[in-house]
Amino acid sequence: MLLIQSNAIADALNSSEWVFPIAECFHIAAFAWSIGLIALVDFRLIGIGMKRESASEIARATAPWTLLGLAVVLLSGPVLFLSDTRMYLGNPSFRFKMYALLIAIIFNYTIHRKVALSNSSPAGVQVLVGVVSLLLWVSVVFGGLFIAFA
Amino acid sequence: MLLSFAQWIQATGFFTALRGSAYAYPIVLSMHMLGIAFFGGMVLMTDLRLLGFAMREHSISDVLDQFRVPKRWGLLLVVTCGILMAGSKAEEYYYNTFFRAKLILLAAVVLHELVFYRGVYADPAALDQAPGTPGTVKTAAALSLLLWASIACCGRGIGYIEPPLDKIHARVHSLKEATLAALCGPSVQKGQELRCCSFNPMR
Repeated sequence: MLLIQSNAIADALNSSEWVFPIAECFHIAAFAWSIGLIALVDFRLIGIGMKRESASEIARATAPWTLLGLAVVLLSGPVLFLSDTRMYLGNPSFRFKMYALLIAIIFNYTIHRKVALSNSSPAGVQVLVGVVSLLLWVSVVFGGLFIAFA
Repeated sequence: MLLSFAQWIQATGFFTALRGSAYAYPIVLSMHMLGIAFFGGMVLMTDLRLLGFAMREHSISDVLDQFRVPKRWGLLLVVTCGILMAGSKAEEYYYNTFFRAKLILLAAVVLHELVFYRGVYADPAALDQAPGTPGTVKTAAALSLLLWASIACCGRGIGYIEPPLDKIHARVHSLKEATLAALCGPSVQKGQELRCCSFNPMR
């Protein structure tokens, strides 16, 4: 039943050759947008760049825009996925990316957020959180790219 | 001339190796994407600040000055990876409409810089003094957003086109044969190896 449904959705999505490229453009622009903004906070936590602002100021200023970017990513992603569910589910890079994405989002809105917003965390913790966050998002991007090469 | 340059550059040992490697190409592409995220994120925040949508509690000079150097590093990463990828498939990209569009848009970015650098980006402290953000500044920011978004979309578009190089090569070959036959008469046999088109791109 699920397969039949997903095939119907895939047919609808594949009926126009423009749906996938346009969804992909939104997906890429929005991930660049959101991950770029998260990276700004990460680099500040590590101690690189934007020294005049505190990490919490950067985190606060970017948070609504990051959320908007992530929303577009999470809306356009399923469109891409539904165009060929079987291929994606069987693709090891895709599965790796989904796990990395899940961990990255949870990390971003729990530990990362807490440490970035409190300016009183020890320097070591700030650096660690910044590095882990960068590594998680780098894994997501690499996983996404390797879907096409797996 | 451009075409022969493209054929030569992709035939060099370095780019042939890059094209043939199963991992190097996707890794370079991933780095390109990360660079886009890092550079694009800062372009976005800068332009949103100039438009007055984000980081309003920080002065324009504060945002512009602090992004200046990291933005250059980000751009360097994106451009380096971009050149690596373009070089390894130079002949194919020569025919790629999206690649050509992207180059034109990049030229437009340079033009944007030439037009707006002096008035907008060179002296952000002056913008802090102004009572409101001048129209020129907002125009520059909006154009910048539009240009970079279009460049990203064209970049994605490159991957959707695969110019039929085999057909193009065959056509060039037959044209050269026909010309040679017309010039030299029937002494030139069909299918004879011609020195002028002995180039055989590795695909």
